[in-house]
Order: sequence, then C-alpha cells, then structure tokens
Amino acid sequence: MDDQFDHRSLKVLRIISPNLIGGIFIILILLPLLIRNEYYINVLTICLIFATLASTWNLMVGYTGILSFGHQAFYGLGAYFSALLTMKLHLSPWLGLPLGGLFAGLLSLAIGFPCLRLRIAPYVAIATLAFSEILLVICKNWVSLTRGEMGLWGIPTFSDLVLLNLIPISFSKGAKIPYYYVMLTIFMVTMVFIYFQMNSKVGLALRSIREDQDAASSLGVNITRYKLTAFFTSSFFAGVTGSFYAHYIMILAPDSVFSVGEMVEIVAITLVGGIGTFLGPTLGAFALIIGLELLRGLKDYRLMIYGAMLVMVILLMPHGILAGIYQIIFKLKGAIGYGDK
Amino acid sequence: MLRVSDLHVYYGDAQVLWGINLNIAPGEVCTLIGANGGGKTTLLKTICRLLPTRKGSILLSGVDLKDREPHEILSLGLSMVPEGRRIFPSMTVEENLKIGAYIRRVWGKKDSQLEKNYKLFPRLEERRQQLAGTLSGGERQMLAIARALMSNPQILLLDEPSLGLAPKIVEHVMETVQAINQNGVTILLVEQNANIALRVSQRGYVIESGRIVMEGGSDALLNNQRIKEAYLGL
Amino acid sequence: MIHFSILIEQLINGLVLGSMYALVASGLTLIWGTMKMLNFAHGEFYMLGGFGLYFGIVSSHLPAWITLPLVLIIVFLIGVLLEKGLIAPLLGRPGWDVSAVVITLGIGIFIQNFAFKFWGGDFQNVPYMFEGTVKVFKMNLAWHRIYILAITLIVIIAFWQIMKRTRFGMAMRATAQDNEAATLMGIPYRRIYRITFGLSACLAALAGTALAPIFSVNPWMGSGPMIKAFIVVILGGLGSFSGAILGGLIMGLTESLSVLFLTSGWKDLTSFLLLILILVIRPSGLFGTKEW
Repeated sequence: MDDQFDHRSLKVLRIISPNLIGGIFIILILLPLLIRNEYYINVLTICLIFATLASTWNLMVGYTGILSFGHQAFYGLGAYFSALLTMKLHLSPWLGLPLGGLFAGLLSLAIGFPCLRLRIAPYVAIATLAFSEILLVICKNWVSLTRGEMGLWGIPTFSDLVLLNLIPISFSKGAKIPYYYVMLTIFMVTMVFIYFQMNSKVGLALRSIREDQDAASSLGVNITRYKLTAFFTSSFFAGVTGSFYAHYIMILAPDSVFSVGEMVEIVAITLVGGIGTFLGPTLGAFALIIGLELLRGLKDYRLMIYGAMLVMVILLMPHGILAGIYQIIFKLKGAIGYGDK
Repeated sequence: MLRVSDLHVYYGDAQVLWGINLNIAPGEVCTLIGANGGGKTTLLKTICRLLPTRKGSILLSGVDLKDREPHEILSLGLSMVPEGRRIFPSMTVEENLKIGAYIRRVWGKKDSQLEKNYKLFPRLEERRQQLAGTLSGGERQMLAIARALMSNPQILLLDEPSLGLAPKIVEHVMETVQAINQNGVTILLVEQNANIALRVSQRGYVIESGRIVMEGGSDALLNNQRIKEAYLGL
Repeated sequence: MIHFSILIEQLINGLVLGSMYALVASGLTLIWGTMKMLNFAHGEFYMLGGFGLYFGIVSSHLPAWITLPLVLIIVFLIGVLLEKGLIAPLLGRPGWDVSAVVITLGIGIFIQNFAFKFWGGDFQNVPYMFEGTVKVFKMNLAWHRIYILAITLIVIIAFWQIMKRTRFGMAMRATAQDNEAATLMGIPYRRIYRITFGLSACLAALAGTALAPIFSVNPWMGSGPMIKAFIVVILGGLGSFSGAILGGLIMGLTESLSVLFLTSGWKDLTSFLLLILILVIRPSGLFGTKEW
C-alpha cells in the first residue's frame, strides 16, 4: 500500500511557506471577532491547547522518532507546578506560565537521559508511559501537597492587565475571549519555535535521526544532544500549556491531566492530521475536537471514537489527512503541468 | 525439473532481474555463478517465493510456483539452504533438524529421516544436543544442508555455501553436495566461488547485473576465456 | 519489628500476586518474541476475562467449570480475529514497531471504553471459585490462592512442554528466531503469529478470571496489570518466557513486602522504581538479549 503513496509529495511538506503559517495565524487572531459565542470560544481554546500538545508531541515523535507515551506528564507537571506556585507562594499566574514550562522541561531532561539510550520504540513507549503513571500515582497519593484525587480548587487566574496602556483586559470566568488570546499566543510562539528548530541545522539533524539512527551517528551527529534538545523544547511548551490550563479551568485533578486518555487524544490528533508534518497536528486538533462538538450525541463515546480513529488511521491513512491533501495538490500540480519540484 | 521462463523481478519500482531463463534437468548438478550483486540471491529468493514476480513463470515439475505461498514451496519438493545458513541459534542441532521436517508429509517420519541424515553427517550426530549457535561455520553449513534434506526434497538450492569457510571445509561441503546428488537429489548451486562451483557441476549459468549472460557445460565454461578472466582470476 | 507470621503472609501474597503478574507478562513476552511487537491492548484481554467470568457465573448462572473454558475460548477467538483483521495488515509495511504499538493502543482504549459504555462502570463482584481456607503452618490460607498458584504452575509446565516437544511449539520458537528461515521450513509464520496472539490473549484472560474474585470486575481493571506486566517483561528480558515468570515473581514479592513499609497507595510505586532500576543498570533485563 505504501507503494501507492507518492513519497515525492512528502518533500513539499518539509518546507512550509511562512506565508501560509502567517495566514493561518491571522485567521486564528481574527476568529473571535466573527464567533462571539462564549461556548465556541471555549471549544476553540481547547483546540489550541491540543494543537500545541500535539505539535510538541509531533516534534518528539515525528521529527526525532522518540515514541513517547508520557507527553501528558509534562502537561500535568506544568499545570500542577504553576497551580501550587500561585496558590502557596502567591506568585502571579503570568509567572507560572514560563515557570511551569521550565519545571516540565528540566524534569524531561531527567527522564530523557535513561530513555534516550533505548533504541527500540516499544521500550521508549513503556518507559515514558511508566513515567507518566508514576506521576499519576504520586499526584494521587501526596495528598498533603496536591490534595490527591480531591484535586485543587480555586486556582488563581490571570491578573488583569492593560495592553499598551490603553486597553484594559480582565480575566474572569464569564469572558473567555482574553483566555483564547493567551493560549493563541502560547500556540503561536510554540509553532514559531518549532518552525525555526525544524529548518535550522538542528532540524535537519533531527530529521536525519528519524530516518536512521545508525547512519546519523556515523555522520558525527551528536544524537543525544539533539534528542535532548527536542525533548526539552517539546516538554517545555507542553508544560506552559499545562500551566495555562490550570489557570483557565481553575480546577485541577490528577486524572484530568495525567491519564492515558489524554495521551490517546494527542496521538489520535497527531496521526489524523499527519505525523511528521508541521501543520498536521494543528489540523488534526481542530478537525477532531470541532468534529466531536458538531456530532453532539457522540461526545459520550469520545474515547471510543479516539481509539477507533487510531486504528483506522494507522490502517488506512498512516500519513494522516494532511499528507492526503498534499498528495492531491501534488497530483493537481502535475496534471496542470507545473513540473517537478 | 525446474524451469524458469522470462522472469522479471523488482524491488519496489526498481527492476533487478531481466528476462531470466533457466532450465534444470532432474538429477543434475547445475550451478549459477556471478559476482556480488549480480542477482543470484534475488533469483533464488524469487524461486522460493520470498520475493514476488511481476512477469514470467517458475515451473517445478510442471507446477507453476507463481501463485503459491512461500511456505508451500517445501511441500512441493523444493528446499533451499539460504545464504548465511540461517540456522536457529537457540535450538539444539537435533531440534534444528527436526524442524526441517515440519511439513505434515514428513513430520511423522522425522525420526527415520534423522537417522539417515546422521549417517551422512556424523559430526552433527556427535553434537546433537549442542545449541546450534555454538557451532563453527563449517558445522553450521552442514547443519543447514542436513536440515534442508530432512523433508526429502527432490531439488535442493544452495545459496553460496562456501561463504566464509576455509578451503578445506569448502571441499568437504562440496563432496557432501556431490554425495547428496548421487542419492538422487537435483542440485542448483549458486556460488561466488566459480572455480569450485564449475568443478562440482555438470552445467552452469552466468549471471551479471540481473541478466543471464552465458550458459553451457561446466567444462566448457571453465575453459572459456571470459570466464577465466572475470571469475577465475586467471 | 515485623511479626514473623505477617512476613510469611506477605510472602505468600507476593507469590500469588507474582504468579499472576507472571501469567500476564508471559503472554506479552510471547508476542514480543515471535512478532516483535508490544501489545498495548493486552490489559483489555485480562479485563475481558474478568467480565466473561462475571457474565457467565453471575449473569447467566453457569457453573464455573463451564464458564472458565468458555471464556478462554471466546477470548482466544477475539484475539485471533483482532490479529487477522487489524494487525496482520501492518506486517508487511514499514514502521512496524511504531504502527503495532499505536494500533494496539487504539484497540485497547476502544475495548476499555466500550466496556464502560455498554457494561457499566460499576465494580462488579464475582464469587470465589473455591471458597474457604485451609490451615497451613498455623495460618489460614484461602483455597482460591492455592488455586492461583496451581494454575500458574500448570500453565508454566504446559507451555514449557508445548515449546519443547510439540510441532507447534517448535515452529513457534523457529519463527521467533528467524521467520524467513522458518518459511523455508514450510512453517506458515503468519498463522503462527495469529495463534500466538490468541494464546497470549488467553493467558491474560486466565489471569483476569483468577483475580476477578479478589479485586472485582470493572472496565479499567486491566490497565494496572498491563503496565506492571510491561515492567515485568523488561525485567525478565524481552522475549524470554522464563524471564517473565521470574520477573513476575520478583515483582509480586517486592510489591507485597513493600506494603510492610509503605501505605498501600504508594505500593504501586515500587514496580516503577524497579523499572527505573532496570533501565539504568541492565536494560536487557535478566535473560534478555542485546537487542533492547
């Protein structure tokens, strides 16, 4: 079946036009002006959360081939760290964002080290999954710190600010739009960062690692250092996203961030959109989350659907929707006689 | 016995064998020689259906192998000793031999087959309980051949049996091959070592870059100028 | 200091728990050994075993000696069908080690939530197959726990003999070592994969039926044992059947004895600490080969 898939179209995916990315950013910035409904803004915010989580996971798996099943751990670490920091030490949630990311990033280096020696994908999957489960156990049992399964309530939210000394912005439960823009900012920064990493010398090295670890090491690529870089970046932004989540929802429970369900959602989104591509995970996030919203009745079966999606995507569309789209575009270009790129 | 006609084989989109024609008569020792990368192993693998064919036919005693599953080939009487021996390292010598008799037709008679093979390969009998992974190169080659014989094949394919073995052992292997042939088994011997291959066989083919470039009696090939220069280092 | 009888009791608990871990892990390592894949849906077969027992004994009022074999056969067939329909198509394609893991993850989550949606999230009780206790060395030992030790022993011996002596067992070992060479021997390796997968599911389900009366049946009962089984498989060495058995016992004993020092909520942590230890000291595990 792979013979039918035109690998030349994948080359197009690698050099995404900055204009396209800019265009998408602008659309996302303008969206709340068109959709004023608070409920839908919330849905879009969730889309952005998962788009960021999936894109960072994609960085790890799609670009360096580290099959991590513990990504949700960094999400949760960022969330809990920022929540506790703001609740116990009364720091501003704005500070919590980068600090949560840093905490997650630093811890990722700690588990990154033993995990990166492992060369077989299933091994890494188990180790990372186990790491996330450890955190779940710790979170549930260290009641004095995290209140265990009772969860954290009343997490402080972002303090009001005045943009450019002119526009006052207040964060309260009722007005979701400011939150949307905070998450959008996080999303855009993450994507820009990923973009530059991918197209730099580092990025090419990372992609070569994905193709063949042995060949890459024989070329003198310092694999460990590059992998750790990907690990750190990926976890950092996942942690920042987690912090945002904590101050957005203002309630935190171990299962809502550390569970395997989150992982499955991230994996399904990335695969549906297109693993290894730049925009694939974002596309997948919006497609799946909005899709489930539209099919109201199916929301109850959310995890069943994600599971089934994973199965179907792997069997039928392993490169995801985006690759399929690019294939069509490529074929169209060929048909019009655009010439070989 | 084995007739390959106009065989074309591809790895993905890249063609590796062009219009191969091969004819092996029952009871003979036939050889296929050629340099590395010439397509020898590819051809053998295709005959055993480990690789698909796009065009051409493979007839074994009149039966077309093209639509057969790879694991059905042995039951049809064709057995291969693969390149690199590929014995099962964590199983004993005896277990390796027994699994050679896996197919239903011979499984019931595997004990008598075992005895027959131990007579032909006494060194293997000495080491019957030893783990195959601990055997020397020459012993492994013998094990691989004996294992391939367990199913009582009509035709035996050997892929580069001399690879990595000392000359004395290669001689011993070739003597064994001749003995097997005398017992009535047709042999297709694929070799990089053209010298010994042509001495052991009656007829030969030469393959270069995926095409058969020459065929004929082994004696004639041995004296052929081009063969001498290219493959016999003379 | 810890009272001697409590120590013995925990040791026995450890052996019982350990043998169940060994049973679940042996199925996983069997699949890894032959197919070179990790089955992330393995825990759901354990759960299906438990639910099967519940449906048979509690819902349908069938006797245990009919329910148990019935459940095992049904789970075997489910396993075979899943392999044939969803996993076998991936065999020829590139990226096998990733695709197999991801698809089984999807299958597992699907089955788990299917059970949740259609069979309910309540914790169902299943009666013990063997009631009562027996006095051993001044302690009360539940018959059910002896049953667990017994079936584990039977399974181990059965598998050992199957692999050593039977045509199928030898074919399985050959396929695991070199599936192309096995094909040359006339062994239909894909069929071997299918049966192995079904057997592995069976082993997990058996463990599920054994532990269901102790821990009760619910849709998520398989997740914990599965992760622990993964750790056991790594501990014992990927692909090693004896490693899985030994690793399972070690894990069970470690967890059991840790209860003496930690509160039960934390005892799950011991298995993870074991994992970290192995990964740092000896990633290939007790009996594993270099290819970790």
